[in-house]
Amino acid sequence: MEEAQVYTKVPRDLVRHLGVEPHNIPKAAKFTEAHLKQCTQQPSRLDVKSMLTHKAVLLGYSQPKRDTTRNRKKAKGLNARQKRMMKVFHIKPDHQRYELFLPLHQLWRQYVLDLCGGLKPTANPQIVQQKLLKADLHGAIITVVRSKCPSYVGTTGILMQEFKHVFKIITKEDQVKVIPKRNSVFSVEMDSFVSHIYGNKMEFRASERSAKKFKVKGTIDL
Amino acid sequence: IKMCADLSRTQRNLLVCERSSFLDEKNRVSSQMEQLRFNYKVSVLLPEYDSAPSHLESILNSFSSFYLIKQLPLYELLDKDFLQSAVYQGSVYGLSFRTRIDEDNCVALMPNGKHHLVFSLDKDAFETLGLEGRPSRSNRTSSRYEVTVDLRDGSMAPGGRSYLRLRRALMSHLKLQMDFLISHHPGGGASLRPLLSRCDWLERRPEVSRRGLSRLVRPALRSCDPHDLLEWIGAVDAAVSLENSSSDFLSTLTCLEPEATVSRAMSMSACGLLLPQDLQHLVEELRCYLQQAQTDSWASVTVHGFTDSPVSWGDGGRDILTGGHDLYNLLMFPDHTYRLHLATGAQKTCPP
Repeated sequence: MEEAQVYTKVPRDLVRHLGVEPHNIPKAAKFTEAHLKQCTQQPSRLDVKSMLTHKAVLLGYSQPKRDTTRNRKKAKGLNARQKRMMKVFHIKPDHQRYELFLPLHQLWRQYVLDLCGGLKPTANPQIVQQKLLKADLHGAIITVVRSKCPSYVGTTGILMQEFKHVFKIITKEDQVKVIPKRNSVFSVEMDSFVSHIYGNKMEFRASERSAKKFKVKGTIDL
Repeated sequence: IKMCADLSRTQRNLLVCERSSFLDEKNRVSSQMEQLRFNYKVSVLLPEYDSAPSHLESILNSFSSFYLIKQLPLYELLDKDFLQSAVYQGSVYGLSFRTRIDEDNCVALMPNGKHHLVFSLDKDAFETLGLEGRPSRSNRTSSRYEVTVDLRDGSMAPGGRSYLRLRRALMSHLKLQMDFLISHHPGGGASLRPLLSRCDWLERRPEVSRRGLSRLVRPALRSCDPHDLLEWIGAVDAAVSLENSSSDFLSTLTCLEPEATVSRAMSMSACGLLLPQDLQHLVEELRCYLQQAQTDSWASVTVHGFTDSPVSWGDGGRDILTGGHDLYNLLMFPDHTYRLHLATGAQKTCPP
């Protein structure tokens, strides 16, 4: 009811008296809007847009977080106890047959032939030796040629596993023999190339051996 | 303490002396003589004769002959027929020839006992051959190894496990080849034929020589000191003048405590691979000969062993440190008494 009184037109006799000019309704609405906007304008210091222009804003100080989901996908290695319990490197007895390892031996021969670029009789033994030092020997036929312990001499077989201090080989009689590297000389035969490996100087894991530098020595005694 | 350690590495010379009678039932001369299996030289010294009694010379000439095989590959010793005919019947004596005990590999084939085949190998040969053995010296830095094989053991029968391993070692691990002297008692060449037919062999006879001596000064043989006695016998054998005259600078050896002068004496010797059985026969003949001699007569028999034999008295091994060689001397008198001296230069063995 009070609102209706505000919106009524100004009576005619008051117009002359007040000196105002009555507007019609659309004009009056527009005028009211503009007037109100002008009155309610915010002071310039609180204007967000003006604050942001030409200013560098320091955001919150926090460590950049790494993407943890990526790390979780990589599997952690097993430690030695778990390896032994899981028997990862244990070969089952029914897998211990010489015939089963012959294809591995053929694979190794191919690998060495590729490594040395074909073993021609005219190839330089030094180069072949250098390559063999860093080569992987799994699948080679190894013979013990000299040893401080006489009972190891003469054992021959395909190399199944190479550990830091021992060779595990399988002989033709399907027997797995564990031969320590120390104090023995092994011979690896590849076509007509026979290479002697001094076990004392080779006590490294196969993976570490590929990065190892070997010194040149004149003669080596056991 | 350091000096004691050095002293223990010096050569040891051991002399065992025995004085007894042949008639005494406890005398073991024959078994003692048999203990030195590989005899190189025997020399006999007899007084009062300028010409050798033909009987004794014929005995020396009747010593069994031995065979020298050139470059025998050692795996041939493991041949079944040879083992059957010679080794198992006992009494085959074999020794590697011209192999020095301190440098080369030496082999001895013994007639019986626990060790049939005895190898004395250097470090490389031992590590390559792959047979069970032990170092010759107990200190850590020994460089010679000894391997003994009992050919009569069960697993050493042809086809047994140790036999096959030994054969494989001698054929493929390390092919040992050396000159070999071999002799057999009593069969001689017939028992050795399986081996000889496959090898390059020569039959050899012991080399016999004799020498007459005059004006020999001798000490009191029954009572003098053993070292002096052996020195005198050695000097006579080596033809060293014992007069110590002022014009002679080569030797100042004299005969200590001279008792008498012998006007004539005869020295006979035989060299080769001599069998203990032949030597025993010689001693028996000398005893018979002494029965008919005068009461102050005597006879001396000296037997030398091989310097490079890997085997010493009995079954004992020999080693590089042994400079001297094994020998024994038997001095006999007409009343059946004798003086026996057994000497060795080996570290660990003792004459019986």
